[in-house]
Amino acid sequence: MKILYSWLMDFVGNNLPVQDVCDKLVRIGFKLESLKKTGPCFDGVITGQILKIEKHPNADRLSLVEVNTGSRVFKIVCGAKNIAVGQIIPFASVGATLTTGALKKAKIRGIESEGMVCSAQELGLEQDSGLNILVLPENTPVGVDALKLFPETDYIFEFEMLPNQSYCLSHIAIARELCSFYNFPFKLGTLPIFLQENQKSEVPITIENPQYCMRYTGIVLRNLHAAETPQWMIKRLKAMDVNPKNNLLIDVSNYVLFELGQPTHCFDLDKLANQEIKVRLAAKGEVLVTLENQKLELTEDALVIADSKKPVALAGIIGGSETAVSDSTKNILMESACFQPVSIRKTSRKFGIQTESSYRFERGTDREITLYAAKRIAQLIMESIKDAKCAFIGDNYPEKYNPPVIEILPDKINSILGTNLENNQILAGLKAVSPDTNGNEKPWKFPVPSYRQDIETIWDVSEEVGRFIGYEVIPTATSMGLMKADATDSFKMISDIRNKLSAIGFKEVYNYDFLSSKELNDCMLDKMECIALENPISLDYQFLRNSMIAGLLKTLRYNLNRGQESVFIFEIGNIYKKINANCSGGITIPQTTGHKEQTFCAGLMFGNFLKEHFWKEQMQRADFYHLKGVMEHLFKDFEEFSMEKTQGQVPVFLHPEECLELKIRKLPAGFIGRISPVVCAGNDFKNNEIFYFEFSIEPLLSGFGKNKNINPVSKFPSSWRDLSVVLDSRHRWEDIKHVISASQTAGLTKIELIDVYKGKNIPENHISITVRLVFSSMERTLTDKEIDGYINEILASLSKHFNAKLRT
Amino acid sequence: MNPSEWKEKLFTIKENFFDSINNATPENIEAIEVQFFGRKGLLSLHLRDLKDIPIEERKILGHIGNSFKEESLGLLARKKIEFGSVRTGAGEKKSGPDLTLPGYPFPKGSLHPLTLTVNKLVEIFLKMGFSIAEGPFIEEDYYNFEALNIGEFHPSRDMQDTFYVDVKDLKNKNFLLRTHTSPVQIRAMKGTKPPLRIISPGKVFRHDAIDASHSFVFHQIEGFYVDRNVSMADLKWTLDTFIKELFGSAVRIRFRPSYFPFVEPGAEVDMSCIFCKSKTEKCSVCKGTGWIEVLGAGIIHPNVLMNCGYDPQEWNGFAFGAGIERLAMLLFDIQDMRIFFENDLRILEQI
Repeated sequence: MKILYSWLMDFVGNNLPVQDVCDKLVRIGFKLESLKKTGPCFDGVITGQILKIEKHPNADRLSLVEVNTGSRVFKIVCGAKNIAVGQIIPFASVGATLTTGALKKAKIRGIESEGMVCSAQELGLEQDSGLNILVLPENTPVGVDALKLFPETDYIFEFEMLPNQSYCLSHIAIARELCSFYNFPFKLGTLPIFLQENQKSEVPITIENPQYCMRYTGIVLRNLHAAETPQWMIKRLKAMDVNPKNNLLIDVSNYVLFELGQPTHCFDLDKLANQEIKVRLAAKGEVLVTLENQKLELTEDALVIADSKKPVALAGIIGGSETAVSDSTKNILMESACFQPVSIRKTSRKFGIQTESSYRFERGTDREITLYAAKRIAQLIMESIKDAKCAFIGDNYPEKYNPPVIEILPDKINSILGTNLENNQILAGLKAVSPDTNGNEKPWKFPVPSYRQDIETIWDVSEEVGRFIGYEVIPTATSMGLMKADATDSFKMISDIRNKLSAIGFKEVYNYDFLSSKELNDCMLDKMECIALENPISLDYQFLRNSMIAGLLKTLRYNLNRGQESVFIFEIGNIYKKINANCSGGITIPQTTGHKEQTFCAGLMFGNFLKEHFWKEQMQRADFYHLKGVMEHLFKDFEEFSMEKTQGQVPVFLHPEECLELKIRKLPAGFIGRISPVVCAGNDFKNNEIFYFEFSIEPLLSGFGKNKNINPVSKFPSSWRDLSVVLDSRHRWEDIKHVISASQTAGLTKIELIDVYKGKNIPENHISITVRLVFSSMERTLTDKEIDGYINEILASLSKHFNAKLRT
Repeated sequence: MNPSEWKEKLFTIKENFFDSINNATPENIEAIEVQFFGRKGLLSLHLRDLKDIPIEERKILGHIGNSFKEESLGLLARKKIEFGSVRTGAGEKKSGPDLTLPGYPFPKGSLHPLTLTVNKLVEIFLKMGFSIAEGPFIEEDYYNFEALNIGEFHPSRDMQDTFYVDVKDLKNKNFLLRTHTSPVQIRAMKGTKPPLRIISPGKVFRHDAIDASHSFVFHQIEGFYVDRNVSMADLKWTLDTFIKELFGSAVRIRFRPSYFPFVEPGAEVDMSCIFCKSKTEKCSVCKGTGWIEVLGAGIIHPNVLMNCGYDPQEWNGFAFGAGIERLAMLLFDIQDMRIFFENDLRILEQI
């Protein structure tokens, strides 16, 4: 919300410097977004007259201009198009100060310029006047200081208003806060004496639903004619970012809105059927065409202002076009009412219409101010239109404001704030907010002012005391005791995984949780399973991800496009799925009975392992076994961890032949594999050596955080033998290893595969494998003879199961 | 040679050696080495003489002789290093390995700056007795708004533009993506007996356009403490301690009155600007005010406590929340929030 400094000062008895106002308001909880200086912002500019204009010899768009300032004639280069001989203009000679800084001597396209003709923007008078120069009235004398021609400097504060600050949405309200919290005299202008309210019921006002309309004040003004809005008012409205209509009857309503915070509406009295006002709920089928020419089909829950026949305004939100004032309006009814916030909010939402008026009503307005506001409008109109007459003031106020009273124990306030304030300090704070606070006996009685509907409990009152005293008074001290603290298992587990992956070269990335339809298709993900946003930012972010793959491929592509050759990345985040989606047919809308959200860790490897280029050795390209090795490294401390060919379904984006399922305690946890060539092609990857892993965090938790036992090692030296055998290549290492370890050989402590060879000297469809077998005993050093015996046993077992032959 | 004669001669050699080594020059250092330790060097020959001495004494004298040899070789080596005359081969000059070649690469991964920030925060709060709690990202209206004193028609719903999803909860209301971490307060408090002291870092979502300081996906950390007699002073101490741990003990904080529907009294918390060192130039981070807004906080609203089944006359608490991206930007001097989700490895590998 914007506040104009000079307008604010109309109501503050002391003359406060701008910076002081800022600091004081920030301290009591106003969020200052910006402070802008308005009005002239220049020095050394004098008025001059254009004597002569010629084309610049070297530039089509520039002119050579001679300016007479009375004392001498200046020759300048000028780029403005709206110049003409005879114009009186603000002229800045070298050395003058403008918004753009001090003016220096300049040569423009080869010709020296002795100064410049100024635009309103350069003088700080307007924000975006463009290149056009400011042309002054013809009768302006030449050679005078231009500062004398413009009003004084002013300032615009812009505050971010919080939802509970409904009592602060006007100049008078901010002034009231300043004055009551800092004890300055609060100046409220006096209104002329009007006729008494409700004298004769010239325009009957009925409220059918007093629960939605707490008060309705109407003032009838007669004998009007089209009148221009006074300049001072236009300037203030412009400062509020309102485009003045230059029709006093409309502009004055806005003016009072910003001055008093009370929304008002002006009806052309002669267009109201039977000249009466009814506040009621709309009937079904009723229609209202708004000021914005929008046709609204009203519903029975919408509160309207109606004449004897039909709705003429959507209460508190927007007026109707039929009864709007025009240039020919002679008589008006000015509405100043108070409506129930939730009802206004509901209706405003329903019709999607938000106005300055609905904004204030839905936050709650002061029902005590409606009459004052109506009279203020009448005053402003009558000041401008001499013949105007106030013919009638109607004020329907079914239930007078009866302030709720909050009982205050000052100790409670001290205990909430953690302060040790004296009773009189607290009472002073309470009285600043509610002067009628009764502090004679405990509990003290705090009547809530009509404009402070946000105050309901002693907690709210404590905040007011805190604002009054200043939050800086609250001590930085505590008596908080020790408490046992712990991270969750999943937090610890995820930290562990992150540390392990980053330690072996993976970089952690964060992707958005949203995917587009295209991204889902490109990764062959199931759209029916996806949870969609009802109100996505754009189609690029329409679905919640049901897999981590799309984000990681996107990250891969982003980095390959920026010159990376190798990308090793991982991400930990949530994936989301609908469950039990009954999508039997193509067009039936899936009936969902729920959803699930799971935390996943996923990653991919592409390119050279370790580093892109390296002077010592050839780097290896990451392949499936790197991927597998990463998982083995990650899960080596988990009991019952395995990677197996899956019996079930493989994720569609993985290569069906190069994919394993991760299992923890025999339960599925995730997958590793090469990205399928179809998905690589679909995502425009030329190289399909992309290796991917994903696993869910939850199944891992049962195996995490167990204390590990440390086993003693033998004091005696161990012995090893390398055993090379040749066997049919259809045999799988896992089976071979199983047979070796099942041979029950005492003292076999380690089986390592150290070579796999195929080719020269090996029969077709056969492979040679070399296994290093390590033997040791806790009791003694094993003899060569014993070990030879073991080796023979193992060899026999291998030849029995796989027809393996010792490689010679 | 009898043992005492041998000892005496060793002593002479010793003196002789110290004398030589102290007056050694780069030119004669090699000669000194040959003189004493060469095949026919003084010390070498003398040690060889030990063979004629009876075994019992030989052991003792051998020990003395060898320790002198060790000591003197050490002195010689140090002198050579001093003269820079260490040679690889015997006298002949070689170019040696190029030690300026880069070392063999070890894999270097990295944690995301947001992860690093969360880790720092968690570490600080664990020390202060706060435990971690977590909650779902797809949340019910009840936990995200209703229970936090934000009724359906509360204007503060405007503060947080919400994403809704096409799945409905048991009350037939659309599920939403949580707009803040505060629903974890409700989930943690319900069914737990106070006192409790909790933090909850995590992802949140707002229907907001992306720019240098906004995103529709970002992270917050929530903290709260419920017990008997919890006050704004406890809150101030907690946040002051936290900010000083994170940004250094010179940083100050200030509380400004503010509003969040789930706290009362409410405060916004600024920290003194850590970037503007000079008074003459206008700092771009704090915009010349000297203060940076970092946290929202307050005393937990009695309605929130009641919604969780606590009696606000008996129990009270404080709560606070901060944007993790904001803290990460301050910690790592990042200007644009978008880099957190761009995943440019050239940026990520810097930390």
